[in-house]
Amino acid sequence: MLDQFTSMVAGFSLFWEYKAVMLPGLWYNFLVFFLVVVFGIVLGLAFSTIRLSTNIVLRAIGTFYTGLFRNAPEYVTLVWFFYVPALLLTKLLGANVTFEPLVVAVMALSLSSGAFYTEIFRAGILSVPKGHVEAARGMGMSRTLTLRRIILPQAVRQMLPEFFNECVSVFKGTTLVSLVMVPDLVYGVNLVSSYTGQALPLYTGIALIYFAIVFAMTTIAEKLSNPWRDKGN
Amino acid sequence: MFSIMETSWGRAMWNARDNLLDGLAITLQITGYGFVGALIIGLLLCLITMYVKPLHWPARFLINFFRATPIICQLMWVNYVWPPMFGWPNTLFEAGCVALAIQSAGYLAETFRAGIEGINRGHIEAGRSLGMSAQLIMRRIILPQAFHTMAPAIMNQFMVVIRSSTLVSIIGVSDLMHWGHHLSAEWFEPIGIMSTIAVFYIVVIWTLSSIFKWYSERLRNRYV
Repeated sequence: MLDQFTSMVAGFSLFWEYKAVMLPGLWYNFLVFFLVVVFGIVLGLAFSTIRLSTNIVLRAIGTFYTGLFRNAPEYVTLVWFFYVPALLLTKLLGANVTFEPLVVAVMALSLSSGAFYTEIFRAGILSVPKGHVEAARGMGMSRTLTLRRIILPQAVRQMLPEFFNECVSVFKGTTLVSLVMVPDLVYGVNLVSSYTGQALPLYTGIALIYFAIVFAMTTIAEKLSNPWRDKGN
Repeated sequence: MFSIMETSWGRAMWNARDNLLDGLAITLQITGYGFVGALIIGLLLCLITMYVKPLHWPARFLINFFRATPIICQLMWVNYVWPPMFGWPNTLFEAGCVALAIQSAGYLAETFRAGIEGINRGHIEAGRSLGMSAQLIMRRIILPQAFHTMAPAIMNQFMVVIRSSTLVSIIGVSDLMHWGHHLSAEWFEPIGIMSTIAVFYIVVIWTLSSIFKWYSERLRNRYV
């Protein structure tokens, strides 16, 4: 076991040796992360407004969306989007439609994380006591002013920790894109591992790399959200 | 009338129904073993960080390591690194269970810690001054209260495990997802087959999560 351990540590140099595969791979992870967070927030804002609207049809659509994508495993969503839309469009239009794997991956992961963002935003807005809104309206504040001065400052403070948590799990989810042919870091490691046959250092190393990144992100997120949280109380 | 049985993918799936049901059973089994393993490892890690001083930092490192690594890395790590390093796990099924267990153990350890620390110190002191032993306090005062605060988070973690269990197919476990890939490659009908597999998963998971949601609402209404 000790022999294997020392040879494993020596094998970490493979990451440097094959940096031409590894670095662009890591870049893909961050690219997917950035795109998914942006689209996820947009979807989340849109659907949380829909879920909070007074129209019952809109509300049902919002509930269906969050129910569907919060319950569908991300991998299943990803694989479904990888196979089905392109083929379906090809069949319907009669033309040869293909999507870039990156587009498919971002689309599927955004829809998934959008459902989680929807719930986070909705919970944040609902956490503001009704009395505060009524008081503001009673003092003659307009709806937008109430939103800006009363609802948002309190809601944002409430949802910030959850929001950062979701961002971190989106980053962890970006590793799934390797399964639909996006050349991210996991994909690169799989390639190098089957080329060199050195599974031990490579898979341990990649776990440590992701651990370092995600742990740093979590720490920063806590540092960012704690002062905000305490400010209100 | 349109009937699924008249489509080629419908027939393909019907003919492979035994495999698909086996796959679903494996998915549920791996989730069950993984979750029970996670509860045990999580409780151990939590107790170590709280009561065993010299092992506090190693246990904290493990918790953070388990929490901060993506499940797909852990699956590959357990599957490719553990057997040559530690001589275990021997089968793909065991590797899948272990990976799911350690992933969730980190989260559950934190949940347990929050649940135990969240109990009013006065309750424990009251128990002690009434002459209860530490064990009795644990059983009668801490655990019943901690259970109510932790139950929703634990059930939530179960949903995470069952959703992550779809990924065990990447290390070669023949779960439902594996058969989905297999059949779509064999019949080249991914639209119907993959959609049906997705519906399978969504129905199972949505049902479970609705039950859990109902139960945690009930807990909250009854005791708060």
